[in-house]
Amino acid sequence: MNLRERLKNHEFILLDGGMGTMLQSAGLELGGIPEMLNFTNPDLITGIHEAYVKSGSEVIYTNTFGANRLKMAKTHKSVQQIIRAAIANAKKANPEYIALDIGPIGQLLEPAGTLKFEEAYDIFREQIEAGQDADLYIFETMTDLLEVRAGVLAAKEYGNGKPILVTMSFEENGRTFTGCEIPAMALTLEGLGVDAIGVNCSLGPEELTPIVKQLCEWTNLPVIVKPNAGLPDPVTNEYHFDAERFGRCCKEFAGMGAVIFGGCCGTTPEHVKALADMLKEQKPVRRRPEIPAAVCSANKTVIINQPRIIGERINPTGKKRFKQALIEHDTDYILNQAIQQIEAGADILDVNVGLPEIDETEMMQTAVKAIQGITDTPLQLDTTKPDALEAGLRIYNGKPIVNSVNGEEDSMNTVLPLVKKYGAAVVGLTLDKNGIPKTAQGRFEIAERILNRALSIGIRREDVYIDCLTLTASAEQAGVMETLEAVRRVKQELGLKTVLGVSNISFGLPSRELVTRNFLTMALYAGLDLPIINPNTESMTSAVRTYKLLANIDKNAVDFIAHYGGENAQTSAPSKPQSADMTLEAAVSAGLKSEAGAITSVLLENTEPMHIVNQYLIPALDKAGMEFEKGKIFLPQLISSASAAQSAFEVIKSYLCEHSTETVNRGTIVLATVKGDIHDIGKNIVKILLENYGYQVIDLGKDVSYEAVADATEKSHAPLVGLSALMTTTLPSMENTIKLLHERCPWCKTVVGGAVLTADYAEQIGADFYAKDAKETVDIAKQVFGN
Amino acid sequence: MISLSSIDRAQAFRYMGLHGKPDDKMQKMADDAEKDLLARIQPRYCWKAFQKKNLEKVLIGEDIQKHLESCELVILFCATLSQSADACIRLAQAVDVLAGMMTDAMASALTEQLCDEVEKEILENFPAMYSTWRFSPGYGDMPLSVQNDFLNLINAEKRLGICVSGGGLLIPTKSVTAIIGISGEPLPKSKKGCAICNLSKTCPYRMKGVHCS
Repeated sequence: MNLRERLKNHEFILLDGGMGTMLQSAGLELGGIPEMLNFTNPDLITGIHEAYVKSGSEVIYTNTFGANRLKMAKTHKSVQQIIRAAIANAKKANPEYIALDIGPIGQLLEPAGTLKFEEAYDIFREQIEAGQDADLYIFETMTDLLEVRAGVLAAKEYGNGKPILVTMSFEENGRTFTGCEIPAMALTLEGLGVDAIGVNCSLGPEELTPIVKQLCEWTNLPVIVKPNAGLPDPVTNEYHFDAERFGRCCKEFAGMGAVIFGGCCGTTPEHVKALADMLKEQKPVRRRPEIPAAVCSANKTVIINQPRIIGERINPTGKKRFKQALIEHDTDYILNQAIQQIEAGADILDVNVGLPEIDETEMMQTAVKAIQGITDTPLQLDTTKPDALEAGLRIYNGKPIVNSVNGEEDSMNTVLPLVKKYGAAVVGLTLDKNGIPKTAQGRFEIAERILNRALSIGIRREDVYIDCLTLTASAEQAGVMETLEAVRRVKQELGLKTVLGVSNISFGLPSRELVTRNFLTMALYAGLDLPIINPNTESMTSAVRTYKLLANIDKNAVDFIAHYGGENAQTSAPSKPQSADMTLEAAVSAGLKSEAGAITSVLLENTEPMHIVNQYLIPALDKAGMEFEKGKIFLPQLISSASAAQSAFEVIKSYLCEHSTETVNRGTIVLATVKGDIHDIGKNIVKILLENYGYQVIDLGKDVSYEAVADATEKSHAPLVGLSALMTTTLPSMENTIKLLHERCPWCKTVVGGAVLTADYAEQIGADFYAKDAKETVDIAKQVFGN
Repeated sequence: MISLSSIDRAQAFRYMGLHGKPDDKMQKMADDAEKDLLARIQPRYCWKAFQKKNLEKVLIGEDIQKHLESCELVILFCATLSQSADACIRLAQAVDVLAGMMTDAMASALTEQLCDEVEKEILENFPAMYSTWRFSPGYGDMPLSVQNDFLNLINAEKRLGICVSGGGLLIPTKSVTAIIGISGEPLPKSKKGCAICNLSKTCPYRMKGVHCS
């Protein structure tokens, strides 16, 4: 029978056992490259395959675990040659099915490492294309969900529709090395449409029991179990489970509903034979798990089984300061919006970076990568542009929400296939070409239409969330109860989760907060699951917490008391800035961030912004800089002052955005940590000091290619470029970047810094300046810009 | 079993270039970094003993050869605070540059503590033997280019999730590879001096005529 049908029917399928184990016992040299044996000793490889086939293996994994272009770079063979040879060796053993075996790339993706998602995708694409003669693709021993996503997308897009299996390796804490958890793996990969998922390696059958149990509860797909032969001996690294014990332990997995079996490290044809014997005695258990509505990042799953707050602040609409941040590519600003909302209680963050002046597609990817680099909170991708949506969906690590589709044909035809392809959840707006229906009935009908279309292309019912749309009470007072009635019906009659942006309700009314908060409570009572609010507004977040208490969701008021009981009780009262008697200079000098910001706000009431910069901030910084040079204060105190000055600057920037077209800019400087280097703390210290002195810094981040530095310098015509490198190994990158800058941007000066750099070396690689610390970089900038 | 319950903050402050008595603000920041790191990291390590003659691929350079002169048995070990340490640093940095620097320094101090503990545990397996101090690729003339082979020999990618980036750096960044020589005979006293340190030319301590530790 066709493999895909067998997978769909949840039939037992028997994989093979360890390859590495067999090679080692055949005497593979320590640290050797096993893939080369496909050429140097094909009979050995075929022999191992044959032994497994003889023991009952239906699926044979090719000897290609590390056959990617990075790991094979040292060999003189191409990925194509290795994979084709390996498939030929497997064919000779005449198995039922040949699986192209694909292991981890061996380098970590951004943000932990330096490998780009797109590069990972391309590495996998090359393997998939070379393995067209296999019957299926297996990604195994994976630990990074983002890397798996890159591989699965490559297999989906280049694999001619062949089945895709994925197994990841978990530690005893139920997470992979990168922190990926079982529910996130299951939600994400089932969403992407792989054919079976499971676990392999890292643990023995006994330790895997709770992990497999959890997986069986989180997926409808066939579950794969390919354990090690127990745990390795800590000193000899040998595995001790004999075949009989291995088979006996795996029987338990069959009872839980796992259907695809094999062995990993330490297992042999005898272990596989034991599995074959065990399966003969068993019947597949057909699981019917009820998988809840949920979204996730790789490390965190949010189940929508109670009201969950979607933070709405990452959105430039009506916010001049946010718009400026987008235009200046200031991702730090966006990250701060993210952190504030999470701290205030957001469960999910809406991400909208749409602005006519910028490339939204590129910005969506930048924002998603940056936010996922610092937080596990799942995201809702909010855009009207299909290109930007797909760009975000492609690189999102986990299962996001798409905001949004509506009842119009065009919208459903464009958005829903993307939701399906990338396995997201989707918000359906109850409007269509005729606008927003006035009645609850009208909106209910559109919700039903969206749901049916989603179901028809294979999107799960649990993944459709409906937004019944809030109209302003001042303009359409009668519509308020229609919205709430629609929420109630969608929830009860269609059984769908509901979303609502609530702030709109109070537009044009006095005491907006009062109106919005009460509407929010009413909506929650009507069945609202996902309020989209500003979580930084305490009255909104507290309304949700109070509702959860009263609705008996927050059992024993644990969460409520944690937030409002005991010593936290005062926190709801506005805190008084202790700045009445303090000067801005004193606040900067003492490194008091919130005070510096508060004093600046007060000063702005009757002082020109530039006067504050020139007469207060810069002198305070100069003083700190001088004390640093004299050794009276140290780098941490200097940075502390700089951070305080930065928060004063942030207040001034916001003020300027609102009140004038003027900006603080004493000159543009491009900064980058060079290619190959990911230590960016030094560069960030330099950045904050330069910004404090009013320079506009284009921060290209870390591991920046030579070309990207030249591109940014060319585009901005920046007179000064700062390059940083911490490691001796990345100094050549610095030299290459400077060379390219000399060719393409002969006008610009370069300043370099970093722990291992010396003035001599800086000169040798052609830099114009060497800065021994951040303070000196400012002095050099002043010299270059003559200000 | 290795447990890490506090961080050597005197060491962390030194990494940051902070001298004298840190003020309350710095202490508070160190508290936060310590709490965050200890709650999130998943320290891991692995090691293996080799006959020196089997390590030709990685024992490159005169300095390491000299270091292991009287040893036949050589331990390779690798330890990491896990990617969570990097995540803590990224988050702290996004909030505040100084908090980022503090978290980074605290994580570095913690990495050293982890290595000390791992070393202790390893040496328990060799009672009545003598050992050298731990030497890492990048010291002296031992090139960082050995990292890939080093990790392969102890299977650190699979066992610990550590890899070498395209730029030759260990990732997660708070990871260490190190070499300890073991001998049945007492070893000549040698000290980890400034001569083999990469930073010897720019070291602020040396400029002042003192040592870093």
